[in-house]
Amino acid sequence: MFKSQEMEINMGPQHPSTHGVLRLKLRLDGETVKHCYPVIGYLHRGVEKICENKAFFQGQVWTDRMDYCSAISNNLGWAEAIEKLFGITVPRRARYLRTMLNELNRLNSHLLWLATHAMDIGALTVFLYCFRDREKVLDVFEAFCGSRLTTSAMRIGGLLEDIPEGFEKMVKDTLTDIREGMLEYETLLSENRIWLKRTVGIARLSADDCLAYGVTGPLLRAAGVAYDIRKAHPYAAYDEMKFEVPTKTEADTYARYLVRLEEMRQSISIVEQCLGGLPEGPIMAKLPKTLKSEVGEVYHPTEAPKGEIGYYLVSEKGGVNPYRFHIRTPGFLNLQAIPLMVQDALVADVIAAIGTLDVVLGEIDR
Amino acid sequence: MSYVFDPSSAPNAKVNMPSTAPVPGLAAHIADKKATEAAEEAKWQKTYSDYEAAKTKAESEGAEPPKPPVRPVAKSDAYDMQWPVPKEPEDQDLKTLVELLGESVEETFEQAGELICQINKTAILNALTTCNQEVSLRYEMLSDMTATHYPAGDGYKFSVVYHLTCIRRRKRLRLRVLIPEGFEPESATQVYPGANWLEREIFDMLGIRFANHPDMTRILCPDDWEGHPLRKDYPVVGLGQRNVDFREDRSGKLMRRAMEAAGHLNINLKPIKAD
Amino acid sequence: MQEMTLLQTLLIATIQVILVVTFVFIVVPLTIFAERKVIGFLQQRLGSTRIAGKLVGITALQNRAMWAMGKFPILHYFRGIPGLAGDICKLLFKEDVKPAKADRLVYLIAPAIAMVAAVMTYSVICFHPDPLFTIPASLPIIGEIPIIGGLPVSGVIAEVNVGLLILLGFASVGVYGIVLGAWASNSKYSLLGGLRSAAQMVSYEVPLTISLLVPVVLSGSINFYEMGQLTTLEMSPWAVPSLFVGFFVYMTCGFAETNRLPFDMPEAESELIAGFHTEYSGMRFGLFYLAEYINMSVVAAIASSFFLGGPWLLPFGLQGIAWDFMATHAPSLVELWLVKWIMAPHWFYFVGKIFTLLFVFIWVRGSWPRYRYDQVMAVAWKYLIPLTLVNLVAAGLVRYFA
Repeated sequence: MFKSQEMEINMGPQHPSTHGVLRLKLRLDGETVKHCYPVIGYLHRGVEKICENKAFFQGQVWTDRMDYCSAISNNLGWAEAIEKLFGITVPRRARYLRTMLNELNRLNSHLLWLATHAMDIGALTVFLYCFRDREKVLDVFEAFCGSRLTTSAMRIGGLLEDIPEGFEKMVKDTLTDIREGMLEYETLLSENRIWLKRTVGIARLSADDCLAYGVTGPLLRAAGVAYDIRKAHPYAAYDEMKFEVPTKTEADTYARYLVRLEEMRQSISIVEQCLGGLPEGPIMAKLPKTLKSEVGEVYHPTEAPKGEIGYYLVSEKGGVNPYRFHIRTPGFLNLQAIPLMVQDALVADVIAAIGTLDVVLGEIDR
Repeated sequence: MSYVFDPSSAPNAKVNMPSTAPVPGLAAHIADKKATEAAEEAKWQKTYSDYEAAKTKAESEGAEPPKPPVRPVAKSDAYDMQWPVPKEPEDQDLKTLVELLGESVEETFEQAGELICQINKTAILNALTTCNQEVSLRYEMLSDMTATHYPAGDGYKFSVVYHLTCIRRRKRLRLRVLIPEGFEPESATQVYPGANWLEREIFDMLGIRFANHPDMTRILCPDDWEGHPLRKDYPVVGLGQRNVDFREDRSGKLMRRAMEAAGHLNINLKPIKAD
Repeated sequence: MQEMTLLQTLLIATIQVILVVTFVFIVVPLTIFAERKVIGFLQQRLGSTRIAGKLVGITALQNRAMWAMGKFPILHYFRGIPGLAGDICKLLFKEDVKPAKADRLVYLIAPAIAMVAAVMTYSVICFHPDPLFTIPASLPIIGEIPIIGGLPVSGVIAEVNVGLLILLGFASVGVYGIVLGAWASNSKYSLLGGLRSAAQMVSYEVPLTISLLVPVVLSGSINFYEMGQLTTLEMSPWAVPSLFVGFFVYMTCGFAETNRLPFDMPEAESELIAGFHTEYSGMRFGLFYLAEYINMSVVAAIASSFFLGGPWLLPFGLQGIAWDFMATHAPSLVELWLVKWIMAPHWFYFVGKIFTLLFVFIWVRGSWPRYRYDQVMAVAWKYLIPLTLVNLVAAGLVRYFA
């Protein structure tokens, strides 16, 4: 008369905590996840196809809209990939400013991650605190390039404009505020017993699995692999900066939380180094008005806040637009590992896993 | 009033098929360079012979001889830009690969600081296994994998590239295979499980099927999508194939409004066929 | 006290019901507003500061007046209060969507069950030990009904001997509203929420009831009014720790019973969208919403009357101890009218304690993350139940020896 049965449930694409339009097909036994199958593509806009049909410099606005929470990292990777393809040398001042903006952007992205992750787990106040501080970073972006979210801050060969007057003080004030804010988050979360219960040992992903699935970024570093493209293959001005790559070996949600917080501190330090040693000089390389390519092929990896973002470009002889424009986004490969992370976990852990992956569906679906 | 978007009359519906297949390579580069130099030399010879002819003509006529032409020198330092050209392989990894794989390596070179190795299309799984397992190579991670459509290619229509990362030695390597239409390369999931979604994306976008893949379905586009968007013969505006089915739309009002909105937004909607 | 006729009883009960319902429906919107404001304060924002009004309505006039006075209108701190009425209006006039495959009857009555059970618990709560006021003898009643006068209208509607049992009974019935509503919605998320709710309520009823047994054991009564009086005024000093632990456990279970944040499993919005009320809209959702807040105030009321001394000032039975202490050691102090007034029972002590506990509910919501479902159950079965059992034994020993 009675029989037990596994329940299939759709988490998403409309769900408060799938960070957009992620859909997970879950098979539940009670509340235990027996099988998880992610379905993506609801936000697919064909960025690659569009960029192939536009001139080299026009692709930038589309990279903004991929990972809309860290537009500057996307811009930086895009600009450097094209510079690598064409062999363009960027002036030192521009490289410093790019580094500084990229690190501010890392702060922005990690603050947003902490906000949403904490809210998924139920800590409402941390959400607002993080948004309060993120607002200041966005103000800095606004002062630099006039827009807050989709910045389009980079140009091929350098930057469009130099920093405005009073910018350095503004950045320093922002960093002070964020430093103070981080103490507040740590007070609310780091030793909170409920937070520990919800994060310690949850959604583990070992270093071997990370490597097998191409998982990069804080997830890889929280598994004990000190791999950071800023150190391994330095770009922009990272070879002149002093910073550490934080690692943990627990490979769980709490370790990723600690790694990201430590990364924020390192970012603050890098921004201060950039401000301190900002060289004088031009901010734009001398370039022809129209970039005409030869036959070439390039893959340029950079370290976005979520992991490795790589641009693969193929160009043809005399072409004004890329022949092939492919973007390797960190979220795409990181999300692939979610069935491993939530196997035999509870429904609430799926939420924690999505939060700790820091998914932005704009970059996954492209 | 209803408005139905017609993709065939859209401004970008025309497809410009590429006339060349830009597969960068050392041999191709050398050949291209030689051809360019020969063409320049021929041009110069022609200019010079024209000058000689004009000179002898002027001398014979006793008129003022023309000025001798100056051979143009390419300006190299006008811009902060130096195109990175393919170079002979110098890295140890590439030499090791050639040693280990022997005949199946078609070409190795370096460009813009990247190591590139072109593999025979049938030997790709072997090459990946070697790169992953061999102690002196040990590329642990498959960073990226993608493909390119070359409709003008001679003997091949696609290239599939694998970007491997060695975390310990901080090295990156690109493997490349050139495959014809309809060829199914071995799936890399047997070596790198992370290739699963990347191969599904390639299948979705370019229509390359991978043999022995666990789940060869579309990933970004819906399952009933027609065509493969990243092929060069696919128009940017699409083919106009999204059927919108409103279940409880008896008067057709919802459909009409959706069509209007789609028309304004240049989204391709196809009207439902009457049964 | 003379014997009341049936009509008089009914009339008096009606007056009491009107008073209590008015109290509830003033407290609940105030709690909602306070929640917005307090959480806004905790999160460094303003909370609700305005209701929409640009050109029409009172707010528009206010806005224009403030512009005319040169003030920035939208940032007035208490301008959000009319928004509460707006909320109710929105809920009342919103379309009531019913899922096509829902079990219609159960779906419709489930919110009513939750709401009625929540309000009914107020019938046994004692607001004040003495008659609130006396109806003057001169008050005429139209028709042949005799004039009522001189009869006490006490602060409790149903002065029954088993008040605590009634209260616990209604609290359990409230669960049916949630579970039936979740099941009848025919939605998987609702079902998960309902199942969680059922399991959680069953688990937390146990420590909640046992923790309420502590004042029962200590006072030797289950009459609501007597219990409040005895636990406050006639306790030995040995009973204070056990009342304190009982209060702690009761509040913890109260959080779970009202589905508030550290234990809001049935409606964990980031996991189950909205849990049991995912499919509800309009006033049916509003009933669940109001029931939650009424339950909150009930829990606060019970905790303050049993553990925090009700209408007396000092909690945990310290009132009687302090009074005896003063009477023996400083008799002159007891004679002062101010001290007498302070130590006498007042309704605003009771209401003030309720409000303080409601603030604690909101404070916790602003500060803590959410437990996982199995951890919630572990808290109940592994920690709370053993703790309450030990506490109950301790209370029994105190009762026996002291």
